[in-house]
Amino acid sequence: MIKNSNSADHVSPIHSSVEGRDNMSHMARNVRWALAIVALLYLPVVLTDRAIFGIPLSNAQLLNLSLTQINLMLIAMMGALSLNFLTGCAGLISIGHAALYAVGAMTAATAGTLWGWPFTLVLLAAGVTGASAGFLAGLPSLRVRGLYFVLSTMALHYIVMYAFLEYQFKFFDVVGIPFKNASLGSFELSTPLRWYGFLLLLTVLVFWGLRNTLRSREGQALTAMRDHELAATSLGVNVRTLRLKAFMLSSAIASVAGALYAYYLTNVTSESFGIGFAIEFIAMIIVGGMGSLGGSLVGAALWLLLPSIINLIASQANETTGLVHLVLVDHKAQLVQLIFGLLVVVLLIFAPDGLAGLSKQWQKRKRNTDSSASAHKGEA
Amino acid sequence: MKIPFTIKTTLLALSGSVALLATAQELPSDGVYKDHIDWGMLMDMSGPASEAQSTYVKGFQDFMRMTNEAGGVNGRKINVLAEDNRYNAATDKIVYEKFVAQTPVLGFSGMGSSGGQSALAPTIRSGKVPVLGTYTPTKALLEPASPLTYHGMCSYKAMAQTGVGYFVDTLKLKAPKVVTVAIESAGGKEFHDYVAESVAKVGGTATAVTMKISAVDVTPQVLEIMNLKPDFITIYGVNNTAVLTMKGLAQYGVKIPAVAITYLAQPQIYAAMGPQAGENYYVSTCVSPGGSDNTPGNLELTAFAEKVGRGALKEDINYAAGWMTGQLVLNRIAALGKDVSRARLVDSMANGFSVDTKGLTAPIVYTKDDHSGLKVHKLISFDYATGKVKHHGEFRDYEKYVK
Amino acid sequence: MLGQVLFGGLAVGSIYGLVALGFAVIFKGTEVFNFAQGMFVVCGAYLAVTAMSVLGLPFFAGAVFIVCAAALLGVLIHALLIQPLSGRPMLSVIMITIALCIVLRALIEMIFGSAGRPLSTPLPSGVITLGSLRISKLHLTAMLVSWVCMGGFGAFFRFTPIGLLMRATADGHEAAVVSGINVNLMNRLAWAIGSVLAAVGGLFLGQLQIVSTELESIGLLALPAVVIGGMQSIPGAIVGGLLVGLVEQLAASYVSPKSSDIFIYGLLLLILMFRPWGLFGQRELGRV
Repeated sequence: MIKNSNSADHVSPIHSSVEGRDNMSHMARNVRWALAIVALLYLPVVLTDRAIFGIPLSNAQLLNLSLTQINLMLIAMMGALSLNFLTGCAGLISIGHAALYAVGAMTAATAGTLWGWPFTLVLLAAGVTGASAGFLAGLPSLRVRGLYFVLSTMALHYIVMYAFLEYQFKFFDVVGIPFKNASLGSFELSTPLRWYGFLLLLTVLVFWGLRNTLRSREGQALTAMRDHELAATSLGVNVRTLRLKAFMLSSAIASVAGALYAYYLTNVTSESFGIGFAIEFIAMIIVGGMGSLGGSLVGAALWLLLPSIINLIASQANETTGLVHLVLVDHKAQLVQLIFGLLVVVLLIFAPDGLAGLSKQWQKRKRNTDSSASAHKGEA
Repeated sequence: MKIPFTIKTTLLALSGSVALLATAQELPSDGVYKDHIDWGMLMDMSGPASEAQSTYVKGFQDFMRMTNEAGGVNGRKINVLAEDNRYNAATDKIVYEKFVAQTPVLGFSGMGSSGGQSALAPTIRSGKVPVLGTYTPTKALLEPASPLTYHGMCSYKAMAQTGVGYFVDTLKLKAPKVVTVAIESAGGKEFHDYVAESVAKVGGTATAVTMKISAVDVTPQVLEIMNLKPDFITIYGVNNTAVLTMKGLAQYGVKIPAVAITYLAQPQIYAAMGPQAGENYYVSTCVSPGGSDNTPGNLELTAFAEKVGRGALKEDINYAAGWMTGQLVLNRIAALGKDVSRARLVDSMANGFSVDTKGLTAPIVYTKDDHSGLKVHKLISFDYATGKVKHHGEFRDYEKYVK
Repeated sequence: MLGQVLFGGLAVGSIYGLVALGFAVIFKGTEVFNFAQGMFVVCGAYLAVTAMSVLGLPFFAGAVFIVCAAALLGVLIHALLIQPLSGRPMLSVIMITIALCIVLRALIEMIFGSAGRPLSTPLPSGVITLGSLRISKLHLTAMLVSWVCMGGFGAFFRFTPIGLLMRATADGHEAAVVSGINVNLMNRLAWAIGSVLAAVGGLFLGQLQIVSTELESIGLLALPAVVIGGMQSIPGAIVGGLLVGLVEQLAASYVSPKSSDIFIYGLLLLILMFRPWGLFGQRELGRV
């Protein structure tokens, strides 16, 4: 009698029904992937035409979403992924991500708007400056850890934003820094649909790249360093260089995301990169689950969906009065913030591994009941 | 028997599509329906500029409500889709796209962020959705005049000219020294340039002192003003800008008259300043705040605002501005008759038009090449003894300043 | 003008010192880096508005109301948010205080509206002129009250039995538990004091300027103040506050208003790089 919950994974000649189930679950997984890819490719068409298979959809059915919002979400996903890599996987807490976005935007402004470099080169340049900025920002980590390091990233945020403000006023206008000509060679990124394709590709690349980095030797050393620094050092992990490398990679990605953000909006000011922006990223990775790359995607998606849905509900509530009206219509932006903040609080107290952690627990429990059920069946 | 996963998913997808099919509807693309017209409003309703801007939205919504209660326009009611941009340029972009195709509108008003306007200007100019009645004027949208954009509030140039002109005449100044207190934004810079221009015409000088939009401590700016010893100051910004500057000066016992931009004539500003700081505080405005005079437009506004329980909000100048924008929009939609569409709206305005606001403002005039609208302004201030707004003359007394 | 700027810096710095002191008490007592200290300042300002304008209480009763309500707020926050997270990694605790900022800000804007509110109290206004120096009476009052509070709490920690107990608990939790000290009570007390100090700062800032949620950015300056001074040091917090106030006013007057942030945070960065335990703090042993 095998009661072990992991028994379903062992191939056992006696439990042929279990093997059969394994093949079925493989096929199910492939079908799932196929459906997901089709959905991702068809989604932008639905949002642009506001119709599915030719049937028009109302705004409410589309959850009040537009392709522009999805594109902004993809850019945010890149930021969340890079931050989670740094904070969740490498254990370096940073609220400097808004500043890194700003670094990317400044690079794009210089290389793209002032010097007229082509778009792809601008993005590369943003990555390089991002990495250098990451190196500089990571230097304090050689001296201080933990709390003091967070403070150093906070200080760097304000310093970078001051530099941005001065830069904006010196080379451009109070109105903001303009960006034009986002194009990949001759393929112009002139519609949200084209941006979607490009951004989706980039996000997938970033996700895969980071996942593989985490699985590599260095990536595993990173996780070891996060979990127990002294022990990792005693095993020969060069903690200092590893930290800097992690910061450089994370910052490069964030900087490229910042350049993309600037080009997408076609105009940015220093107010686009406040410290609230950085805090939003941290909230995203906490909600998604620290250390879980997939979780960051969920966190970013939630950050997009929540205001959209609240706005949708609020637009139906125009005629109400009293408390409902006050909360939903007059203060719907505050309602979004309140819900998001409470979500973070509740998750921190009850589910510190975020939504990814909850989903893992749920899957584990499901596997337990499934396997014990089939184990019982096999014996009968 | 356990249902295999693939069959489960397919069933779900099928039922989902059936549900979608069942609830699908027709969507006119111009925002014009059989019984109502959708009109958009894009303002900062919860961010740093929201005090003034959300009141403006309420004024607009209330005017439309009054119109709808009286039967609407040519058989249709006007439904206001008010969107909040939180003073963020990214949100402006999202909302504009929403207004174009997602929740399409006939046209929209507002646009309270000058940065957002400038960023969207090229897109708006080359698009199809008209902007009728912007709250903030920017060169990007107004120069050169585009058939799609019309400014619907007071103009910075006229505010500056009127304020400077009035003080120079009343205080009998020869070569005035003026300081502009402004927040750092495109509008702030423009306003200061206009002030400097007007002051230079009478042989004076103007200096700018800047502060953050969310400033809570302005001691350095106040000290700088005291150092410069101006004859009067002009103020551009949000509520805090005016309140902190005047209170700061009063704290140091300094009495310099100040004229602020129109948006800063609000009951809570007067209250926050108090009689000491507020007695030198004037506002240059093109629209009369509710309850401050007996013109038919003003009385209509006050009566309806009281009916729907607006309270002190009705005396806020931004409420009157929103109301006046409502009059502007209604005037144009009514002129189209039953056949309403974006293209017809744009064409009907192309050769210029004028709107009578029943005394709430001087007549609003647009020409083919000048879409800046209201030009004539006047000065008002708050009389703490009576608790009412005081008008310093009539609109026509000020026409000479904006020639 | 230099004298004017210096005085302004000292006045505003005293308020920062008060808020920083509250922060230091919380940190010393419960080892929590309270990012929400800035919001506690805002809460204090809005409590003042509630007391004076909404409830219409006379000044003394209003002050008592503010102190009690702020203490209650501190205790509630500790019980609901901090205690459940004891033993958790630092990011969780920092993040919950940041999330608290978001929640409090949203709640305040929903209850009071996002418009700024005037705060009228019978605190003296007007100006005293000493030669070329114009001293605002309100600034002077704020400074005096801040110093009285700081001195009072300093004495409280040094001389009263409860104060000694709090310090003992802060120095060694386990030893405190073994000695039979009610550690929970000490923690709650620390949060109550931290909140009250911030609230008093908020009362003055609200009176000096205008009561709005934007006051948070001023309250947040207590963070660099406390780090520069030394996070676990009471006199350090006060000195840090004064320093930040002076740097802010000097930078704003002599360089430009927007540069004050960079001077303060640049100073913070320097301290972090070369003397992370602050000017008055004690070198911490690296913990594994």
